[in-house]
Amino acid sequence: MRGFLARRLIQSLVLLFIVLTITFFLLRLAPGDPMSRYYNPDFSPETVRSIRESLGLDKPLAEQYFRWIGSFVRGDFGVSLRYRRPVRDLLAEAIPNTLRLTVTALALHLILGIFLGVLSAAKRHSPFDRVNTVAALFIYSIPSFWLALMLILVFSLKLGVLPSSHMQSLDTEGFSALSLALDRARHLVLPAFVLGIASAASTARYMRGSMLDALREDYIRTARAKGLPESRVFLKHAFKNAALPVVTIVGLSLPFLFGGAVVVETIFSWPGMGRLAVDAIYARDYPTILAINFTVAAIVILGNLLTDVAYGLLDPRIAFAGGKKG
Amino acid sequence: MSMNGDERSIAAAPRSLWSQGWARFRRSRFGMAGALIVLSLYLVAVIAPLLTPYDPIAQGDVPRMRYVPPCREHPLGTDKFGRDVFARVVYGSRISLTIGLLAAAITVLLGSIVGAAAGYFGGAADAILMRIVDALLSIPRLFLLLTCVALFSGSIWLIVILLGATGWMATARLVRAQVLSLRNLDYVKAAEALGAGGRGVIWRHLIPNTLGVIIVAATLRIGGIILAEASLGFLGLGVPPPAPSWGQMVFEGREALMSAWWLSTFPGIAIAVTVIGFNLLGDALKDAFDPRQIA
Repeated sequence: MRGFLARRLIQSLVLLFIVLTITFFLLRLAPGDPMSRYYNPDFSPETVRSIRESLGLDKPLAEQYFRWIGSFVRGDFGVSLRYRRPVRDLLAEAIPNTLRLTVTALALHLILGIFLGVLSAAKRHSPFDRVNTVAALFIYSIPSFWLALMLILVFSLKLGVLPSSHMQSLDTEGFSALSLALDRARHLVLPAFVLGIASAASTARYMRGSMLDALREDYIRTARAKGLPESRVFLKHAFKNAALPVVTIVGLSLPFLFGGAVVVETIFSWPGMGRLAVDAIYARDYPTILAINFTVAAIVILGNLLTDVAYGLLDPRIAFAGGKKG
Repeated sequence: MSMNGDERSIAAAPRSLWSQGWARFRRSRFGMAGALIVLSLYLVAVIAPLLTPYDPIAQGDVPRMRYVPPCREHPLGTDKFGRDVFARVVYGSRISLTIGLLAAAITVLLGSIVGAAAGYFGGAADAILMRIVDALLSIPRLFLLLTCVALFSGSIWLIVILLGATGWMATARLVRAQVLSLRNLDYVKAAEALGAGGRGVIWRHLIPNTLGVIIVAATLRIGGIILAEASLGFLGLGVPPPAPSWGQMVFEGREALMSAWWLSTFPGIAIAVTVIGFNLLGDALKDAFDPRQIA
């Protein structure tokens, strides 16, 4: 197990390093000086030169690269060109907001996906199963921004039962802790639903297939032959084994979750990383864009590492498959 | 004569796999529905001028014609510039379908080159290429796309290239896995034992046997590409206006969501129908031609 952990940790660090390198060269690939948009036409050539010097743009590419890597590793992401604040501070504000949204969506995704998938497998080829199949396909194919707008149209604008933007009401003064929590939960409903539902649809399909595979295994026949009640065979023997691969789905769904957050946060004015990224892109705020890319990749890589470790703990065959015993 | 007959049956064996696949595909109701949707959409794109008398781009008599609700002359209403929404949705199919197909072609090309190189050369080349693939896959697609859009400002062709350039990684993994599994198959070894060179093996055996899987996977990916393009359009970073891009139209309708619901609703339905069509088609093709199910 320890060898497995060490191997995965090193792999993750290598991936992060490659992400950093790719983002650096992506920026240099862009036509012109990355800062040229910010030069005022009135600047004298000397001013421009001193700006370039202060940003290290006059140095050779290799030196810029190593300086840049060095400052990223130290957690120094530079200063946002748009907000004139350290990017690190902007991220520190945005990350918890994005996590609140994505973690809720992930929970919804797993609960709904596993529940519907298992139910579909239990009643396979029934009308319920068919409706589930078709619904999953539709939900998976609907653009999330459109679904969000339609839900806002119905629940916020027509019915007025759920808020359409922000994380909490503008004026929360005098709210008790409970009503503040309720207020925040109400603001979370629509964005988390939109973000979680598409992944829930594909997970339900996956869970259904996984259950049906498990039900064909020999140990199920053994359990039935022993005379165990069908419900026990289904939930205890089949479900436990079928649910295991879903752990990997959590890891695989992270990039989609954070990618989806870009659109959802933009629509619902949710002050997280996705919205920060879109705003940074409109303003061509390169330091912020690159720092967000790096941070999101780091979260995804960390999430994958954690799910792999969890999978290794739950299923010892995985950890030992690499040949090195822990 | 009998010799000829035997030869024919041997030569026909791989083709019969394909015909088995087609038979399976034709039996799939979802697959046929998907094929029908996709073909109809291409037909709509081609005969767009016959379907609507209105210009999708030119602004009409704005003060009189703006925000007209769905009616006889304008079945899907008009937008804030007095343009017919039905015309824009119909012409918009050209943009979505073209981008989907071309970007998918780019992902196939890039993914095949990288995947085949990694699978065939193995060793260090394989390790480096696959780690780059892993790293790119760990940056969510939309973040990667947005970064590229910010760096290289856009035209429709640039959007196509960026969608292709940010979507090839899964294809590369697939092609690599295919090449690896095919390389050790008996008929490939037999060809090598009979003196076929590396290039002969790749072109006569590896590529033809991988192509089907790649094309099926690409079909399944077109839906995702169209969704990604629509998301870019919705964020105001896609095909530059006034071109009728569906994502952009949903975005433009957002400001008048309450008073003119038709602006966002119909282009969104168009996107959903298109993506559903490609997903149904791709799923059915995958089921029909998946080598694991042929066995």
